[in-house]
Amino acid sequence: MSNASPEQDGGARERLQRWLPKLVLSPSCVLVLFFVYGFIAWTSYISFSDSGMMPDYTWVGLHQWSRLWTSWTWGIALHNIWVFGLLYIISCIVLGLILAILLDQRIRAEGVLRTIYLYPMALSFIVTGTAWQWFLNPGLGLEKTMHDLGWQSFSFNWLIDSNMAIYTVVIAAVWQATGFVMAMFLAGLRGIDGEMIKAAQIDGAPAWKIYARIIIPQLRPVFLSAVVVLAHLAIKSFDLIVAMTGGGPGNATAVPATFMYSYAFSRNEMGIAAASAVFMLAVIAALIIPYLYSELREPRS
Amino acid sequence: MSFLHINNVHKRFGETHVLKGIDIAIEQGDFLVLVGPSGCGKSTLLNMIAGLDSISEGELLLDGRCINDVHPSRRDIAMVFQSYALYPSMTVAGNIGFGLEMRKVPRKQRREAIDRVAKLLQIENLLDRKPGQLSGGQRQRVAMGRALVRDPQLFLFDEPLSNLDAKLRVDMRTEIKQLHQRLGTTIVYVTHDQIEAMTLASRIAVMRGGELQQLGTPQAVYDDPNNLFVAGFMGSPSMNLVKARIVEQDGLPVAQVATEASTLTLPIVRDRDALRDWRDRDVILGLRPEAITDPASANHREGNIHEAELPVALVEPTGADLYVVTTLGGTHVNARMRPGTPLRPGERTRFAFDVSRMVVFDPESERRIRDERVAEATPIGETA
Ligand SMILES: Nc1ncnc2c1ncn2[C@@H]1O[C@H](COP(=O)(O)OP(=O)(O)OP(=O)(O)O)[C@@H](O)[C@H]1O
Ligand SMILES: [Mg+2]
Repeated sequence: MSNASPEQDGGARERLQRWLPKLVLSPSCVLVLFFVYGFIAWTSYISFSDSGMMPDYTWVGLHQWSRLWTSWTWGIALHNIWVFGLLYIISCIVLGLILAILLDQRIRAEGVLRTIYLYPMALSFIVTGTAWQWFLNPGLGLEKTMHDLGWQSFSFNWLIDSNMAIYTVVIAAVWQATGFVMAMFLAGLRGIDGEMIKAAQIDGAPAWKIYARIIIPQLRPVFLSAVVVLAHLAIKSFDLIVAMTGGGPGNATAVPATFMYSYAFSRNEMGIAAASAVFMLAVIAALIIPYLYSELREPRS
Repeated sequence: MSFLHINNVHKRFGETHVLKGIDIAIEQGDFLVLVGPSGCGKSTLLNMIAGLDSISEGELLLDGRCINDVHPSRRDIAMVFQSYALYPSMTVAGNIGFGLEMRKVPRKQRREAIDRVAKLLQIENLLDRKPGQLSGGQRQRVAMGRALVRDPQLFLFDEPLSNLDAKLRVDMRTEIKQLHQRLGTTIVYVTHDQIEAMTLASRIAVMRGGELQQLGTPQAVYDDPNNLFVAGFMGSPSMNLVKARIVEQDGLPVAQVATEASTLTLPIVRDRDALRDWRDRDVILGLRPEAITDPASANHREGNIHEAELPVALVEPTGADLYVVTTLGGTHVNARMRPGTPLRPGERTRFAFDVSRMVVFDPESERRIRDERVAEATPIGETA
């Protein structure tokens, strides 16, 4: 019996060692669980409740969801996010790729140019939005400057044109993210084996064919990353739109994020807002989870 | 007119002078191997032949035509790279056929050419795979297939085997040699493996620091090196280089080498005329390990054998041979003896020196001291 106690001691220390890291980490785990997943659960519940200005826990089933999907503004918001998202993703990728290819020609001052292109990404959306709002505002920015310079007939009023306002948001968002996408492509281009390009030259491929047939197909993982990153930025593009157009003129630049905000905090329709929030979360999750899953799995295979 | 003529070619990258006037000429069907230590400019020279690097000065003639300013794709050459440089997004067949496709060869003809090459290299069953699904040796074959399919005038290989493991390397080496013999193509091949150079080449060009040290048949480079660098670079284990002094004995120059206890006198039979002028001066003797053996294995018929009893410092059996180390002129000297010779360190034994294979170098300039008349490639034994 007497020699059982040191063993027990050792066992206890071992158990402590095993549990200590978990104990230390547990407060942050609890906080994340509560503030992220807890509120996700709460919001999901609210979307099935009869909440208006204040939370109301009466279960009403899919009532808020059906109101959301029959809402005319939600339709506009969805249409806008499609237009915005597609244009944004495609323009960023095309421009980013072109810039990366140009920068990859071993030109001088590459470092400076790279920093210049990359810099907008360091700004917050709100700053970008405000700056572009000033720049495109007919009374303040580009148009006025042109008028002051003597070009009286110049007119660029997309910002206040409800048919064109969404494109101004696209321009600002593309301006901000293109440099980042370019950096991703540039890293991809730099990773390509130089001997492969030499081989293609000997094989007689002209430069554009070397890019089209050999280099760009190898950048597939970069395309995927760019699409996923840009898509979730597009869905989250709340602050940019608020700063630039506030969703207007009218509902012309309303997107799900601004829809959610206005229904939750100004129209006192918390239930519908919650339903739209849950919907956005589901879309982002559908994009990100498979991506993260494949990215994190890859090294092992 | 030679088939490939590299005429006083220079390469400068800005301030750095990488190639300092290379002169090489080879005939059709030759297998030229460029060897030399890392950074000596082998790849640069090859890239210049391929047209991937510009020529700073000099002239490059292929089949009588100056190709200095011809685009790589119009030089009628093919190149195999160290990294294989396969296109990862295309299948093996796509990789092999890409050059033909770019040259607008019709699909049917292309297919036939791909099949022919695949059969030659035994990769028919891999044609639909992507390079990522191939082993190193298979990738190597595909890279060769891509070069062979176009049937060019000149093949360039830049260290094609250096990414393979030792065994596969030997196998592929044999295969490249067979391919060369079967197809009779002209090849320029870069390696820093001197065994690869010896086994494959019909001509070897030894380079150092952007300068050509020697160009000749493998045997000539091995037996008749131009300078200390070539002597030390070619051969494994490398040539024994021993300090000695030339003195006159009975009107003939002989070399005196200090051993542990006494002085060893070796008669000089090769380059005797040139060495007369070196009386009472220090030189460096070069003797291949196989030119120092036991008296029973010495080549008494062709060689000129001089025997001496020396202490054994170390014995290194390799299975095929027994390397016996003794001390001459203050350095360890490898002698290659019959395996199974019962020797132990500290014992004395008789060493047989084949002085007809002995070469002598100037310790200052590191150049060979040789007779004017036989400055060209000398077969062994002729000078004896
Ligand atoms: N683009 C370049 N700019 C400047 N110097 C270069 C350039 N390319 C090569 N060099 C220099 O030229 C020299 C020869 O290079 P090269 O690649 O031909 O060597 P190598 O003989 O092929 O060596 P290795 O056996 O390591 O492949 C090196 O000293 C290298 O630093
Ligand atoms: Mg090299």
